[in-house]
Amino acid sequence: MKFSATSILRPDTPGRPQRPLRRKADGALLGGVCSGFARRLGISTRSVRIFTVILALFFALGVAAYMTLWILLPRQGEATSILTRTVNDRRDKEILFAVAIAVLTLLIAFITMGVGLPGVTLWFLALCCLAAVMVWRGASNDEKESLSQLSTDLAKLRIGRNDGWRAVALRTGFGIVFIIWGISLMSRVSGENGAAKFVLGGACALVLGLFVLFAPWWIRTFQDLSTERRARMRAQDRADMAAHVHDSVMQTLSLIQRAADDPQEVTRLARQQERDLRSWLANPEKFGAQSTSSRTLSQSILDVESEVEDNYGVSVDAVIVGDAPLDDSLLALIAACREATLNAAKWSGTREVAVFVEVEHDKVSVFVRDTGCGFDPTAVAADRQGVTGSIIERMRRHGGTATITSSPETGTEVELQLPRASHSS
Amino acid sequence: MNVNQRPTVFLVDDHALIRAGLRAELSGHVDVIGEADEVAAAIEMIIERSPDVVLLDVHMPEGGGLAVLRAVTKVRPNVKFLALSVSDAAEDVIAVVRAGARGYVTKSIEGPELVEAITRTAAGDAVFSRRLAGFVLDAFANRPQENSFAPALDPELDQLTPREIEVLRLIARGYSYRDIAGQLEIAVKTVESHVSAVLRKLQLSNRYQLTNWATERHLL
Repeated sequence: MKFSATSILRPDTPGRPQRPLRRKADGALLGGVCSGFARRLGISTRSVRIFTVILALFFALGVAAYMTLWILLPRQGEATSILTRTVNDRRDKEILFAVAIAVLTLLIAFITMGVGLPGVTLWFLALCCLAAVMVWRGASNDEKESLSQLSTDLAKLRIGRNDGWRAVALRTGFGIVFIIWGISLMSRVSGENGAAKFVLGGACALVLGLFVLFAPWWIRTFQDLSTERRARMRAQDRADMAAHVHDSVMQTLSLIQRAADDPQEVTRLARQQERDLRSWLANPEKFGAQSTSSRTLSQSILDVESEVEDNYGVSVDAVIVGDAPLDDSLLALIAACREATLNAAKWSGTREVAVFVEVEHDKVSVFVRDTGCGFDPTAVAADRQGVTGSIIERMRRHGGTATITSSPETGTEVELQLPRASHSS
Repeated sequence: MNVNQRPTVFLVDDHALIRAGLRAELSGHVDVIGEADEVAAAIEMIIERSPDVVLLDVHMPEGGGLAVLRAVTKVRPNVKFLALSVSDAAEDVIAVVRAGARGYVTKSIEGPELVEAITRTAAGDAVFSRRLAGFVLDAFANRPQENSFAPALDPELDQLTPREIEVLRLIARGYSYRDIAGQLEIAVKTVESHVSAVLRKLQLSNRYQLTNWATERHLL
């Protein structure tokens, strides 16, 4: 049966026998066993707690019963108990098994040494240890959260979270009691049999006392350290960001202000900055480590794109399909492509040049197109180095072709074709 | 939509300046019947007003354009989406196109071109940018070494016809639909139907490269 107790029952109507026995989630001191019992029986929580404490005085029976119920009873609003959860988890079961062996060893050691406690109590305490481990492993996230809250409050001895002279006095009192107890136990060492147990107990009490005294300070230092580390990392990130924004964006903005009456220059700067920022956003780690040599076709074409954009203030948009490692003839193709792009940027009169590169398994094609004024390819004098030498002749030397189509209506398109050697697919 | 009527348009973008700019560019050509700057409001208003075309910013917080697209298409399959991207990087847009957008344009697009793209979207045609065409060519290319890994292809969906490849190449080279029609000596309507066919393949094909490419960038 699975239902949330709170949603069905009025919380403040005591004495309903059909109420299921659940550990209470709110108003629990530890596991909520006592308050759960009180609700089930319709009596006050305080009396159940006092009864438990009294029971604890008899061979620690109260403690054992409390821990057993903690793992057996499901928490309010939860379907399964801690016991079923830990037993059903393989990892938890292994941990539990290891702890059980350790506890058993300790138990046997204590019984043979004779600590002065009756055997029943020791067994009960061992049971409690196991139950505590189960709670640690099997508690639901909600419960874990409230427990960790409880433990920090306890370590600082801020019961009810009111930091003040009461907490300080309480803490000091506890610490001093433990220390005195420890010293008194240790002072009895000389001249007695079985002195070891006093040394052991005394040392434990001493440590406990010191811990209670210094825990708040220690925990706070620890928390401050991690907070500080996180803050420092954030500051570092912010500094990196600020440095980059200053280096690139602010510089560009001031350049743009100075060149405000030259729209071409402003466009150029803005394009450059845009490309810069985009590559930074895409890969902030690698940014700035400029590749000394672009080793593939697509990278080289992108280099051409940015070079022409920067120098002529036009927008060059390259669409690249496929890629190939560079070789001599591809370098020639790129040089021809660069020349064609430059010509378009310089002479076409438009602001946009479209570059399309497609790598197929048997050839590479490049198209450089603008929608500008166009020109008559046949009218270009043969000695004009730009078109003839840099584009047509260069392509022919490497076994490729260059075709130029141009008209005043449609603009100019330069088509470069280069067959590929079959070894590189 | 009546052919003589101007298409109704809804703007979704989280930047007020962009919306204002779009409104100014579009005024007089289409009817802007609303705008929204966040996902939840956009979904609600688009479903309520049912525009012909939604101009959708791809990069928005809270799931972005994709969330709007998915939520609206379920309820209003007739609303057509045109994605608007600042970056023109195909990986930003491919998820939106796969989710059902009829195409995409960049924010740097000129006013008349945008109006043309919207009209085309409203008529049910696809709008391909140069880069999207390049991506499709890349993804559908038949590279021998990759095909050996690929699962059996559905030729209906996973391959482009030679004519479609031709059209895509011309788009990637920067030709308008009218230029392409002139170049291939076919009607503009035929170009449009080729592009729509490619869009359908892009949306429906589960071609190995496409899926692989998109999942590598955590898009699907």
